[in-house]
Amino acid sequence: MIWRFIIKRILWMIPFMFAVSVVAFLLIQAPPGDYLTTYIAKLGESNELLDQASIDNLRARFGLDQPLYVQYFKWVSNLVVGDFGMSFEWRQPVSDLVWERMGLTMCLSFATLLFTWAVAFPIGVYSAVRKYSIGDYIATTIGFIGLATPNFLLALILMYIGVVHFGADVGGLFSPEYKNAPWSWGKVWNLIEHLWLPVVVLGTSATASLIRIMRANLLDELNKPYVDTARAKGLSEFWLIMKYPVRVALNPFISTIGWVLPNLVSGAVVTAIVLSLPTAGPLMLQALLSQDMYLAGAFVLLLSSLTVIGMLISDILLVLLDPRVKYE
Amino acid sequence: MNKFLRKASFASVAVGALMIPLSAFAFQDAPSLAGKGFPPVDERLPDDPEVVTPMSGVGTYGGTIRRFLSGSNDHNSFLRFVGPQGLTRWKSDFSQVIPNVAESWELNEVSSEFTFHLRKGMKWSDGHPFTADDIMFFVEDLLHNKEFYPNPPARFVVGGEVMTAEKIDDYTVKLKFAASYGTFLTELATPLAQEPVLWAMHYCQQFHPKYNSDVQSLVDSSEAVEDWPSLFRLNCGEVEAPNRWSNAERPTLDPWVVTGDGYSAGSTQVIMERNPYFWQVDTAGNQLPYVDTLQWGVSQDAQAILLEAIAGNVDMQARRIANLSNTPVLYENQEKGGYKLFERAFADSNDMAIHFNHTHKDPVMREFLRNKDVRVALSLGIDREEIIDIVYQGVGEPWQIGPLPQHVLYNEKLGRQHTDFDPDRANELLDAAGYSEKNGDGIRLLPNGEPIIFNVNYPGVETPHHGDSLEIIKDRWQDIGIGLNATSVERSIYYSRGEANEHDFMVWGAPGGLDPTLSPRDVLAVHPQASWFAIPWTRWYLSGGTEGEEPTESMKKRLELYDAFKSEADPEKGLEIFREIHRIAADEFEIIGITQRPNAFGVVNAKLRNVPEVIPGSWMYPDPAPTLPQTYYYAE
Repeated sequence: MIWRFIIKRILWMIPFMFAVSVVAFLLIQAPPGDYLTTYIAKLGESNELLDQASIDNLRARFGLDQPLYVQYFKWVSNLVVGDFGMSFEWRQPVSDLVWERMGLTMCLSFATLLFTWAVAFPIGVYSAVRKYSIGDYIATTIGFIGLATPNFLLALILMYIGVVHFGADVGGLFSPEYKNAPWSWGKVWNLIEHLWLPVVVLGTSATASLIRIMRANLLDELNKPYVDTARAKGLSEFWLIMKYPVRVALNPFISTIGWVLPNLVSGAVVTAIVLSLPTAGPLMLQALLSQDMYLAGAFVLLLSSLTVIGMLISDILLVLLDPRVKYE
Repeated sequence: MNKFLRKASFASVAVGALMIPLSAFAFQDAPSLAGKGFPPVDERLPDDPEVVTPMSGVGTYGGTIRRFLSGSNDHNSFLRFVGPQGLTRWKSDFSQVIPNVAESWELNEVSSEFTFHLRKGMKWSDGHPFTADDIMFFVEDLLHNKEFYPNPPARFVVGGEVMTAEKIDDYTVKLKFAASYGTFLTELATPLAQEPVLWAMHYCQQFHPKYNSDVQSLVDSSEAVEDWPSLFRLNCGEVEAPNRWSNAERPTLDPWVVTGDGYSAGSTQVIMERNPYFWQVDTAGNQLPYVDTLQWGVSQDAQAILLEAIAGNVDMQARRIANLSNTPVLYENQEKGGYKLFERAFADSNDMAIHFNHTHKDPVMREFLRNKDVRVALSLGIDREEIIDIVYQGVGEPWQIGPLPQHVLYNEKLGRQHTDFDPDRANELLDAAGYSEKNGDGIRLLPNGEPIIFNVNYPGVETPHHGDSLEIIKDRWQDIGIGLNATSVERSIYYSRGEANEHDFMVWGAPGGLDPTLSPRDVLAVHPQASWFAIPWTRWYLSGGTEGEEPTESMKKRLELYDAFKSEADPEKGLEIFREIHRIAADEFEIIGITQRPNAFGVVNAKLRNVPEVIPGSWMYPDPAPTLPQTYYYAE
């Protein structure tokens, strides 16, 4: 039965992705002008003159002189055979550019997810069980600050402190000597040394909100009769809480997986820019800004499919974890 | 010309006097090249390498220069440091064009044929000889190939005819035009004109159907490439695109070459290593460059680059950090970061010019803006000192447009007329011009009864301070009965409005302060995207009178002079022609400006030598390359 559910969901993805491709294409076309307008504007900023001949050449080369529907079908028909086209701005194949960035993006996202869970879970449980204790107040305060502080601001402050007071090298995920080096244990260790800052910065607001959610959900459960019953039967307090109410309150944790995948691409763009992280977000933003049609289109498609896949995974996990959830 | 120019030339005279004839020396090369299996340095250099006189002294080898790229779209940072190695280049003081890849040249009498002598024995960065064949390859197989260039670049087209070439011998090549083209040598020194010597024939011919009959199979096997020109450009690069710096195998004539994967969207760092075949030596016979390695970090955020500069992680850079608001923090941290500041003297004439639309779509508004007294009144109605104090931190000088005082073409009237603040006189002029009727808000009325309110856009992301200045102008113009609404828009929308001729006026800097003959777009309607005072006139000019709108007699006269300038080979006569153009432009007073652009500061490692204290900043003079970064070196 679960297999039928999965197959049905996957089949539904096909018309959905088609609709997404249309919307994505139209969205990218929506701003006035095209890549060349932006390109000309960029050159104009440095007072460079691009002669009309060169502009016409580029427009013809990129197919921008053709009607919209022709451009769309050219794009989609290439997509079907796995060709994402050429990035106007980088003049390189889009797929190279996208995959180049996905590895580190995934690494960073999962590290952040683990960090978020590892911090939010115990604190959330603690502040629910010890409601209105000193510890709860401290956790709540930190949680609210974490929620209220924009990530990029936190990044800038930490970077400034790092550079000015500790002489640390902060931007990016590697030290200069490892950036272009092949993978080695030294490079892995170097990555770990650099990873904590973006992980903490990116994780704070998610951690804060998960703590609040965990606390609220668990509080709902703690007063229910089955908890009293279990307690009356003499179960140890720790096992009691872990085995029943926490399991129920865990659902939001699982649901987060659904949005972790799309976050791989679009999450925390500003923070990534500030921290010079070689992740997908900044590249996507730049592609959208410069109206680099095929690169932006690839990202929007990737984003949509990852959202769909992420939702599917979290639905499946929820079904496995919580027998009350039904699939139909 | 100006202060630093004189300094530089004194230095070169001093060193030149001490110079000993080169033949007395064998050449030397960098210790870092030893043991890497290269042939001896004498075989790697041309028979007669170019001898460069370092600015303040002969240097020592070694070290790394660290710079930062701003994420994407910053490939011209390479170009500006490594240098556009074209046939000619700018003298480091930006005063004239001198030989570069070409050793020397001759012109025919009408300056339509240019014979270039190349350096015998000069080599590409892979050791393969660089000869006339490489230039012939560009002209015959690319420039004249309709598939590669459906429309050949304008700089190689004169009188509707594309440049042709004739190979005299292996080291001599003649480039021919249909008519006189006196500015061609200057054109070749501009950053995007090095195509004749950009592509190494022995490497790039594999992507050309004439030399590789099987090129289609290469096209088919490369993703996202649909025809051979795209394949060619993907591998051999193009002048103004990131892919030029992404193929380490592509041979170049540059002092440093990229390694590894080079520059692409995924780069977090780009390393460039010395070109063992570079063709310049210093006065002591040391092969340049001195510095072994260039290390380019990538940081999308300009604030993060500033932070790296303060921390002392940047060895020589003005790009992205040299602006007025960063100057105090850069100044403050000099000692801690181990760097000094160098001044970037902007070649721009004005930081903020008001480009009135002389071809306004609304005939009533057009008549208003075309009235010179009105423009004088609008200029007199601006309190430039107030703007300089508030917006420019007191650094600046009231100014209209045109060459700066230190430039040989300085025209005082063009630059300084009507810059004082005189609202009474402005009101008189507007009343006399027939716009004395006002509405209830005190705003003057046009003859059709509409109030005179300018609706103006400015690109708030790039130039937020223009918004502040416009607010001040708005208040002052209120006093002379003129309304102004300023809104910030995205840059490409801004440009689209201009191109569609939908503006009352545009607000942007005015180039042409130190490069008036190269960027004349504010006195001549020649720039189709930025001569905002009359975009339809530029269309008329560029299309030879078939499109756009016929300009005024005064502009037609100037455009004729400009055509004469372009075919004039004698620089002195060329300057004389431009003086006339400026005289006419000063009388017409088409555009007004606020202030000269205040200089900004870049950082340079305190130990790095041969870096001038003042460097002109311009696109046409792609700083700092003409100051020859290959002569920078680290003192002990």
